[in-house]
Amino acid sequence: MKGTMKKRQIAVIAEHRNGVLTPGTLETLSFARELERLLSLETKIIIVGKSIGNLAYDIAEMTGMDIIGIEGENFKFYNCEAYLAALEKPLKELDPAYICTPHSAMGYDFAPRLAVRLKASCITAVEKIGKKEKSVIFSRSQWNGKIILEMEPVAERGVITVLPGSWPELDERPERTGEVTIIRTVTETKNSRTTEIKEAKRTDFDLTKAEVIVSAGKGLGKEENLPIIYKLSELFPKSAVGASRAACDAGWFDYGHQIGITGKTVSPKLYIACGISGSTQHISGMKGSQMVVAINTDPAASIFSVADFCIVEDLATFIPCVIEKYHKLFSLHKESE
Amino acid sequence: MRILVCIKQVPDSEGIVTIDKSTGWIDFEGPYRMNRFDEFALEEALRIRENMAVDSIDALSVGPPRAESTIRKALEMGASRGIHILTEERTDISAFETASLITLFVKKEGYDLILTGVMAEDDMQSQVGPMIAEMLGYPSASSVICEGIDREKGTLYAEREIEAGTRECIEMKLPVLLTIQSGINRPRYPALSNVLRAKRQEITTIPSHTLQKTEKREKIVRLRYPEAPSKGIFLEGNEEEKAGFLLQILHEKSII
Repeated sequence: MKGTMKKRQIAVIAEHRNGVLTPGTLETLSFARELERLLSLETKIIIVGKSIGNLAYDIAEMTGMDIIGIEGENFKFYNCEAYLAALEKPLKELDPAYICTPHSAMGYDFAPRLAVRLKASCITAVEKIGKKEKSVIFSRSQWNGKIILEMEPVAERGVITVLPGSWPELDERPERTGEVTIIRTVTETKNSRTTEIKEAKRTDFDLTKAEVIVSAGKGLGKEENLPIIYKLSELFPKSAVGASRAACDAGWFDYGHQIGITGKTVSPKLYIACGISGSTQHISGMKGSQMVVAINTDPAASIFSVADFCIVEDLATFIPCVIEKYHKLFSLHKESE
Repeated sequence: MRILVCIKQVPDSEGIVTIDKSTGWIDFEGPYRMNRFDEFALEEALRIRENMAVDSIDALSVGPPRAESTIRKALEMGASRGIHILTEERTDISAFETASLITLFVKKEGYDLILTGVMAEDDMQSQVGPMIAEMLGYPSASSVICEGIDREKGTLYAEREIEAGTRECIEMKLPVLLTIQSGINRPRYPALSNVLRAKRQEITTIPSHTLQKTEKREKIVRLRYPEAPSKGIFLEGNEEEKAGFLLQILHEKSII
């Protein structure tokens, strides 16, 4: 990025739901803090919503960062067209060097369009940053996670989306409270209208609260193997069954079980990945787990790179073997107590 | 109604990827195939055609000569026409460049609906689709899991998946660009008659340099392998020994 006269900034476009920032936004704020330190920049948070006064002041207090709130009747729900129209002018005035947002269904919906509109560089799903001489290098996975690409924006500004699970959620006790500026706007969208959010039907388990998650991927092979996954999870109290996107697509699981970018982000005490190859989008949803056990027939599977214990076996025979052994070892033991 | 489906040829995840030290670029050994997310997009276009009059479903790919096989696969599945924007072998073409090339083509042809996969499996950038929409001034929705078209009103209704099961519902004015999420349908196997037809069919090839050239907006500094992050221990022995070892570990950590 070229040298600049005035001090440029970092803008974080916040994502919020039910009056709170999403975990992905809190992670993006940690990312912004790291970028601040590398470049001596300051971060401003931009929040778009129908009524965001309270949220804006809460965040200003929690982060110490300045907030620009953009309020309008049209922002009851996220809408790409409305957001772009609302963001364009304030961003042109602020002229931040970097515009950052989570790599969520919202982030990857509007960020590439915003980059084109602002003639900015666009780097999505960033996992790591570092400095090389005067420039900041953004790392992201490519080629199914087998290669890391180190990239640098060459345009005047960069639009960055931050891969969930790559930074911790921001947790600070700042001395100052950020300044809040609220802008009221009227934006009419010509070509699109978001009408409602359909909430998922509640499932009888809560993946995000489970202490142990047994997760299955495409390596499950066939629907007939489903019971062994459930039987394995039954060995643990407070457990739940998760799945990779591929296993949901195969029709083996309801999408409520899905872990990863369009699914849930989890951080249980123990995560057992069964027949999951470990795409970046899955790993970003579970890498906060305290302990990971991976079972896969392919010793080169990416999931092993985040596992504490790696087992190269076929889950269809290995898991029944574990269950049998468990009953031999522990059930008998308990009976004799 | 004219539909364009943008498809990408990706390396199969089973293949072996290495960095060529002399060029600093990728060496890939293994098969290439159509990006799975784009298969869902193409299948969705075919299903739309089953329900309403569609003049043409064009399948377009930007890529080196080998991408032709993926375009042919699209014809086998039922696309009416294949278009190949031919690039050089080295595949470091950016999302912005790809979107610019496709946009130039679309401006000449005109489409009512453009579909792409929500991302490419190999690089997972999720950029090309929304960028094309922005360059054309179309409304767009990504991660679409269901859609319906109202021809009389000239509108399209879409539901996009925002997180496990939760959906955002949007109404848009045609022309529209959608990026399609997996699971929206079950992509078909090509019918034999289509396979035979596809064999003989011409593919329109447009060398990318004949379209306008755009400058890259990101620089690739270098490629590297992921840091050997595996603090992981590979359990050894036969199946039973591994099972025993695993239970022992879980017991020591007071999980079992």
